[in-house]
Amino acid sequence: MSRAQRIAWTLASIGVGLAMIAVWQFIAWKKLVSPVFLPGPVQTWRALFDGFSQGQLGEQTLETLQRMVLGWVLASLLGMGLGALIGSSRAARNYLGPTLEFMRPLPASAMLPVGIAFFGLTKSMVIGVIAFGSIWPMLLATIHGFAAVEPRLVEVGRMYHLSRIEFVLKVAFPNAMPDILAAMRLGLITALILSVVGEILAFQGGLGSHILEASRAYQSPDLFAGVIVLGLIGLVSNLLLSVLEDTLLRWRRT
Amino acid sequence: MKWKGIIVPLALVVIAQAGAVIYGIHSDSLASPWQILRAALTLLTDGTLWAMMRQTLLAALAGLLLGGGAGLACAIVLGLSPSLSRLFRYPIEVFRPIPSIAILPIFLMIYGFGYRMEIAIIAFACFWPNLIIGQAAVAGVEPRLLEVSRVLGLGFGARVAKIVIPAALPRLFLAFRLAAAVALIVAVTVEIAMNPQGMGYELMSAQSSLRPDAMFAILLYIGLLGWSLNAMLLFAQHRLFGVAAAAPPT
Amino acid sequence: MNRKPLTIVEPFSPDAVPPEALIRFDQVSLRLGGRVILEGVDFEMRPAEFVCVVGPSGCGKTTLLRLIAGLLRADAGTVTYRGKPVTEPARDIALIFQDYSKALLPWRTAAGNVSLALEAMRTPKAERARRVTELLTKVGLAQHADKYPTQLSGGMQQRLQIARCLAQNPAVLLMDEPFGALDAMTRQTLQDEVLRLAEAGGACVFFVTHDLEEAIYLGDRVIALRPNPGRVAQIFDVRLPRPRNQLTTREDPEFLRLRRSLFDFVQEIEH
Repeated sequence: MSRAQRIAWTLASIGVGLAMIAVWQFIAWKKLVSPVFLPGPVQTWRALFDGFSQGQLGEQTLETLQRMVLGWVLASLLGMGLGALIGSSRAARNYLGPTLEFMRPLPASAMLPVGIAFFGLTKSMVIGVIAFGSIWPMLLATIHGFAAVEPRLVEVGRMYHLSRIEFVLKVAFPNAMPDILAAMRLGLITALILSVVGEILAFQGGLGSHILEASRAYQSPDLFAGVIVLGLIGLVSNLLLSVLEDTLLRWRRT
Repeated sequence: MKWKGIIVPLALVVIAQAGAVIYGIHSDSLASPWQILRAALTLLTDGTLWAMMRQTLLAALAGLLLGGGAGLACAIVLGLSPSLSRLFRYPIEVFRPIPSIAILPIFLMIYGFGYRMEIAIIAFACFWPNLIIGQAAVAGVEPRLLEVSRVLGLGFGARVAKIVIPAALPRLFLAFRLAAAVALIVAVTVEIAMNPQGMGYELMSAQSSLRPDAMFAILLYIGLLGWSLNAMLLFAQHRLFGVAAAAPPT
Repeated sequence: MNRKPLTIVEPFSPDAVPPEALIRFDQVSLRLGGRVILEGVDFEMRPAEFVCVVGPSGCGKTTLLRLIAGLLRADAGTVTYRGKPVTEPARDIALIFQDYSKALLPWRTAAGNVSLALEAMRTPKAERARRVTELLTKVGLAQHADKYPTQLSGGMQQRLQIARCLAQNPAVLLMDEPFGALDAMTRQTLQDEVLRLAEAGGACVFFVTHDLEEAIYLGDRVIALRPNPGRVAQIFDVRLPRPRNQLTTREDPEFLRLRRSLFDFVQEIEH
């Protein structure tokens, strides 16, 4: 497909998006759905704008973002570190592997009640639970990536007398990188969800509280504004991770 | 040596129990393994386990079928029409990353507590993996087969039923398996956050009424449920498709 | 932290070492997985010698190579390098694997792959770039320095592996059926390149191959193994003039005589 065609399709697709917004406006205007449940795009935009300029939406967004990022970074570092240790040792993999795999299908949010039981309704509890809940994809991916190193490369490492650390940094980690990056996406989504649920449960401010209060007060424009912000957070973080993936995994595209 | 995997958790359980016996438990947030086991058995025998599992599973299944079905239908349409999939690319990319949890208060407002709210959220969450993976699966159907359907003069419905779905089935099943896991996770999450029914709610309720033994027992059951569901679907996948489904979607 | 460079700066000079054995196998035996792979293997290799090893599948050719490399340990007998028993891979022994795509790091460019060897030898950073260019030029890959292995053809990937091994200034080159997966034309080009590089560096080469003609073309001696268990059946001396030439050497009557001998011998072993 030529460049011109590609641009044309992109514009057309954006056009479809705009058309959907127009349909949304139409539905709201004709009150086909009760405005209590479905505010129009204009109202939503105004709620969004007002929320940031006069209201607390900005602070709340920042709060949620901070939690999410902090928890996710913690989970990533721990996950990769522990994963490297466990993945490099066959004994560790045999003894710990099944237990860790059992944690995979467990809903991360189930950790919240446990966290509340142990640490109470505090800020650090929420971050702790976020980290604990989001660690699993990255931990398991790192273990898998380290376990699956091409045996030929292990021998190359021996021929060149690569120290343990050198082997981990120069061979094992780059080898595991595709799996780790894919897991990071999942980890980030989990971190976002846990932040919001944690905020709802533990009354810790942030976007979770925002959408909760808006729904209780039947303020649908504010509610939708919050939902849009959450969607944007998801979108932007996904984009950033894609860029990271493309940079680090340049060699895969060939 | 399959037994190696059991040694560590077993050892931890034994140590925890020993610790509980030696030091005595006087806490609202800890329970000894023995207490947890007793609570688990109680839940099993007095019927509360089945009640809460039924609620969670019902919601998850309904949401999976609704959302997954809709996702599948759209996936077929978009997969077979490159123009449509190109047109809808950006709207999909914008809606896709919205976390299902964000949708929760909207449906709470509309439906209030109960099944409908939970099913709606689960349906939303299950829609996307089926759409994205299904679309790739359908688009990846061997073009030769589609030519065959055209030569045979099959109408759209027949083409879909006889050629497209069977050809894409392994990957569609993979999408379904993923969506099933999502359905269960979202169900429990919604119940923890808001909806007063199902296993998630019982979990929170056990914690807030300071019954750690019941709380951990329910946590274990949730884990077992997720794990066995996954294992069953994996087994079904291998039985039905063997090697064909082993290739991961690109 | 001070890291002394471990580079052996001058190429290995065969004249500096008296012409005694560089590598010696003394009644070496090895079992793997319950099977006797090698039994009572005896031979030696001199510096700057080109030795080819042939034999049917399962005769242990690759195992011999791995014993020299230090990746395997013998159950009985000794493998010595420069008079000392081989316990771990020696730094001036280089190993070129048959499955070249699996032995290269796919996430590093060609230059990056060669650099790995230099990093392992603690070559100072400032000197690395120069050495990398020098080595890539030696194998004719200088203009592909920034390409990833997946962007290179099979022959180029194998050359890249060779370049990486040359970074060690090896005294011994171990090559495990290096050209088996390549097409005939590439194979011939690389055969001559290996001869050239080995001679320039003064390295001793241990070359495992299935191809009898390749063995005669390249080698000073051809060791024929017989299987079950693997042991040395016969050693053929190759008295053909150097430098070898793809056309004239292969038409030389001595070449044809050796070829017949070797073919007959292998036929006999296989029955």
